[in-house]
Parts: sequence; structure tokens; C-alpha cells
Amino acid sequence: VSVLSFALFSVANVSAQQPRPLDLEVKAVYLLNFGRFARWPSPDVAIAPKTFSLCVLGRDPFGTTLDSVVRGETIGGKLVVARRLARPEDAVGCDVLFISAPAGSRIKSILEKIDRAATLTVSDIPDFVEQGGMIQFVPDGARIRFAVNVAATERVGLMLSSELLRVAVAIKTDGKPGT
Amino acid sequence: MMTHGHSSISRKLMLVTTVISGAALALAGVAFGAYDRASFREETVRNLSIQAQIIASNSASALIFDDPHAVEVTLGAFSASPNIVSAAIFTADGRLFATYGHENDSYAAIPPTIPAGTLEVHRFDDQHLILARRIVFQGKNTGTVSIGSDMKALDTRRNQYVSIIGAVLIVSLGAAVLMAWMSHGGISKPIEQLAQVARRVSNDKDYAVRAPVLGNAYEIIVLTEAFNEMLTEIQRRDQSLHEAHDALEGRVRQRTAELDAANKELEAFSYSVSHDLRAPLRHVAGFAGLLTEHASASLDAKAHKYLHTITTAATRMGRLIDDLLAFSRIGRDQLTRGRVSLNAVVREACHEVTMQVAADNRAIDWHIDDLPDVEGDPAMLRLVMVNLLSNAVKYTAPQAQPRIDVGCDRSGKSETTVFVRDNGVGFDMQYVHKLFGVFQRLHGADEFEGTGIGLANVKRIIHRHGGRVWAEGDVDRGATFFFSLPTRGHHA
Repeated sequence: VSVLSFALFSVANVSAQQPRPLDLEVKAVYLLNFGRFARWPSPDVAIAPKTFSLCVLGRDPFGTTLDSVVRGETIGGKLVVARRLARPEDAVGCDVLFISAPAGSRIKSILEKIDRAATLTVSDIPDFVEQGGMIQFVPDGARIRFAVNVAATERVGLMLSSELLRVAVAIKTDGKPGT
Repeated sequence: MMTHGHSSISRKLMLVTTVISGAALALAGVAFGAYDRASFREETVRNLSIQAQIIASNSASALIFDDPHAVEVTLGAFSASPNIVSAAIFTADGRLFATYGHENDSYAAIPPTIPAGTLEVHRFDDQHLILARRIVFQGKNTGTVSIGSDMKALDTRRNQYVSIIGAVLIVSLGAAVLMAWMSHGGISKPIEQLAQVARRVSNDKDYAVRAPVLGNAYEIIVLTEAFNEMLTEIQRRDQSLHEAHDALEGRVRQRTAELDAANKELEAFSYSVSHDLRAPLRHVAGFAGLLTEHASASLDAKAHKYLHTITTAATRMGRLIDDLLAFSRIGRDQLTRGRVSLNAVVREACHEVTMQVAADNRAIDWHIDDLPDVEGDPAMLRLVMVNLLSNAVKYTAPQAQPRIDVGCDRSGKSETTVFVRDNGVGFDMQYVHKLFGVFQRLHGADEFEGTGIGLANVKRIIHRHGGRVWAEGDVDRGATFFFSLPTRGHHA
């Protein structure tokens, strides 16, 4: 695990762009708020978790920012907790999963591992939506915007609010990017 | 004649109708206008609040995910509402996030302050309604929406309202004037007619006029009819008064004529009797004289005494007849009126009377006041004074210290009263009514000589001058005779 995380970390470290702290905070807030504009299929009450899990897979770019953002927040009456994952297999029970990975890495295999699970996948990897991811951060000048893959969310029974779609920069419905 | 400041009843009625209807309408207009304004404002606030709610719920995601463009699209829908001039969305920390409307229109561009615990505030300024509402997403304060709405519609509405009220006011005032004009025939016109007739009655004393019964107001008809009945009654009484007056006048004329005739007849009779009596009397006196001359020697003393008695009686009768004729002449002769000095009259009468009594050698104490001038016949007034003074002299004869006062009382405005007072034998007041009668004597001829016609002459002369005579006295305490003459301008 530590090897992988180290690998991820080093890849991020060598990437051309070092994310600004402000962008990270915005992204952290967005991660939380995506959960507010999505509806998960109702699970069996008996096995339903009592918390809302906001997970980060791979090297964590947020640090303590995410923890401070989610502290005390609730979504759908559940307390939001931040979890850090080393392996895609650990993503079971995650409501929102931020995949932190270098561009062109094995996104497809990661997504395949968590396939069918009602987990809202988010990443800032370019082509994330193209590769089957659900929400992809898109830098737009000084602002952070996002693209949405509705086909992917619908496949696992996740309903995204039209409000969210209204502010999305692009919406992919059938594997092809829309507007 | 109509007095200034008194307007006619029809004008008053019209004024009252107009003022009342105008005031009621104006009041109702103001009340409805105020209510309408308030409810319109309320309605505008409600509508704007709904708009703000829609915007708020539609802009939460854009605020959360920092997409001003999406909000601007949402706000762009306001272009369909021409009264919304500006709108703005602020982030939770007060940063301007998106705007709509004119850039220079700052109504919505200032971050509004909404008190804690309040979701929405609004305020009016002179032209706008500005409403601010919190944007709350899942219990979190996400931002603020502020909308500025033009209230020109309120002005437009008010102008419309004012023109409608104005039109209604004009129409209803017109109707009021029309009503007043129409009621003129029913109320004011009959009253004006009545007033006109009343004026004519009081000015011209014409009771033959009648007020026409106009209109259909019960009280006015009753009033008019009562007025007419009063006029009829007055006319009827006037008529009967006139008739009574005429009858009375006729009767008076008739009686006067009868009386005149009787009087003339009587005077003619007494004159002719007196005149005719003088002839045989002259024979009696004449032949008694002849007999005295002719048979003086052959007659004895007794016969001489008889003859003397006959002559004296005949002479006395002649004087009576002369007096009667004079009395009759006083009644008939024209008065020659002029200014008469009573002082002169009294002086002459006194002279005449004292000449008569000079033989008696009596010392009479005369007290004669200054007397005024009067209007009258000088000769006749002199006769009055002679009669009164000779009476006074005559009846003071038994008095040791006779005193006669002549004076006057000028206090009466319309008459001058002259009195002659003596301290003679006087008279008993119960016979005062007999004093001025012809041949009425309170004393025997043997006591005081006289024919008993003097005071009758006084009374007749004074009456012919329009005056009065009266007397006061007591037995042995003297008598006072008064006569009054009307002063100039007060002739009866």
C-alpha cells in the first residue's frame, strides 16, 4: 500500500501543475456539495451505513483541508466523514470517491474495480469522463468547473440533480461528451 | 326684495346636494384609493417575493459551484417582467455574484442586510420596491438575491384611479345638479312662489292674490293651501270690516243729517218764536208805558206798583228773548278765526265787567296772570271771558273780600287751559252737569239776577273752537271754571 501511495505521490509531484491551495479548497467543497445534488438508490435500511463517506483514493492532495471542510457537515441526515483509501478495493461503502491519479494512469481498471457500486466518482484527471468516470473537474481560468457523465451515474442508479447539470460545463450521456 | 347674503332655497338645496355628494364621493375615493394602493403594494411585494423564491431556488447550485453565468441566464427571465428593473445575487459572504438590468441602476447592487432569523426584507423608496431574500440550500445560507421593482405601475394605477374618480365625481355632480334642478319644480319653486306671493301681499296689501299650488311635496302643498286659506280669511274679514264701516258711516251720515235737520228746525223755530214773541212784548211794554203816562194821575199807588211790575217783567222777558237770539246766533254764525291775545281779551272783559259793577262800589281783588295767544274768534272769546268774569263778580257779591284769579296751564301739549277762580258762593258738585245748560240755574233769580244762558254760551263757543269746558267748586268755598283751547296744529 505504501509503495503505491508513494508512487502516486511521486507522480503527482512531478506533474507540470502544482494545484493552488485555493483550488484545493474549492474542490474539497465541491466534493461535499456534489453529494448534496445527487440521490443514491435506497439501500436496505438494515445494512445502510450511518455515515456519508467521502473517500480519497490515492495520493491525498487536500490534506487537512478536506477534514476541515467536512467537519460537522451532514448529507441526507448522515454525518459526513472523510476517508483515505490506498486501493480501489477499499472503496466499498464510499458515497463519493475522489480518484487522485496521474494522467493516463489505469483509470479504467480502477473504475472497473468499483463498477456497479453506487459511488459517485470524481477526479481531475483529463478524459476522466471519457473513460467512464462520473464527474471531472475542468479548470476554467481562475474558476473550477466540472463535466458530468450522466450515462455512468444512471448505470449505477445515481440520480444527479438538474440543478447540478445546469451548472456543469459539459454533460456526457452516451459515452460521447455533450454540452 | 331679496336681502344680500340671503340666497334662494333652490340654490341652497343645490349647494347642499352637490357638497354632500361631492364630499361623500371624494371620501369614498380617498378611502378606496388608499386601500387599493395598500393592497397593490402588498400584492407587488408578494409577487416579487415569489419571484425571489424562484430565483433563490434556481441559483443555489450556481452559487455553490461558482457559475455566475447560469444565474445570469436565470435572471434573464426577468426581461419578461418589465417592472423588474434590476436584480442581483450575492454570495453568502456579500460578494456580488451576478446582476441583471441597467448597470447604473444601483438599486439592487448594494449587498442587502437581512437581519438574522429573517428570510426576506423589502423596502420602498419613492419609485422602487427593493426586496432581498436569503438563498438557503439544504438549511445552509448560500447567498442573497435582491430584486428592484419599478413602482411606476403604482403611479399609473393612481393616475387611472384619480381620473376614474374625477370622471365619476363630475358625472355625479352633474347628476346632483340635475336632481336639484329637477327638485326645483317640486320643492324650491313652490316655496319661491309662496315667498313671492307673501312679498306681494305685504308690499301691496293685496289680499286677492293666491299662491299657486305647485309640486308634489305634501308639506309644501299643505303650507301653500294654509297660506291661501289665511289670505281668504283676511280678505273675508277685510270685506266684513269694510261693510261694517260703510254701514256705520252711512248711519252716522243719516243721523247727522237728521240731527242737523232737527237742529235747524229747532233753531228756526226758537228764532221765529223769540222774534215773534218780541212784537207782543213790545206792545205789552209800550202800552204799559202809555198807561203810566196817560193815567198817572188817576192811578193809585197800588196800580202804579202793578204797572211797574208789568214793565219790569216785560223788560226781563225782552232780555231773555235777546239772550236766546244771541245764543242761537252763536250756534249759527261763522267763526272768524285769527290770532287772539288772551291778555287783551281779559283786559277788555275786565273793563266791561267792572264798568257794570262800578255802581256797586265793590272792591274786588283781581289776580290776572300773563296769558298766551290762542287761535280763535276774538269776539266770541271776548264773550266767553265776559261771561266768566261777570259770573265771578256776581257770585262773589256776598263775600266781604272778593277775590278773582285768572290764569292758565300751559303744560298740556295739545291744548291751552284757562281758568277763572273766585271765592264766591260756589256750588254743589252734584249739580255740576247742570251748570252749562241753557236756563239751568243753581241759584234763584231773586238771589242772583241772570237769565241762565251765560255758561251755555261759554260751552257753545268753546265747543265750536274744538275745546272743552268744566268746573270745580264747593258750596261757599268758591268755584273755578276751566276752558281749554286746542293749540295750533291740534284743532279737532
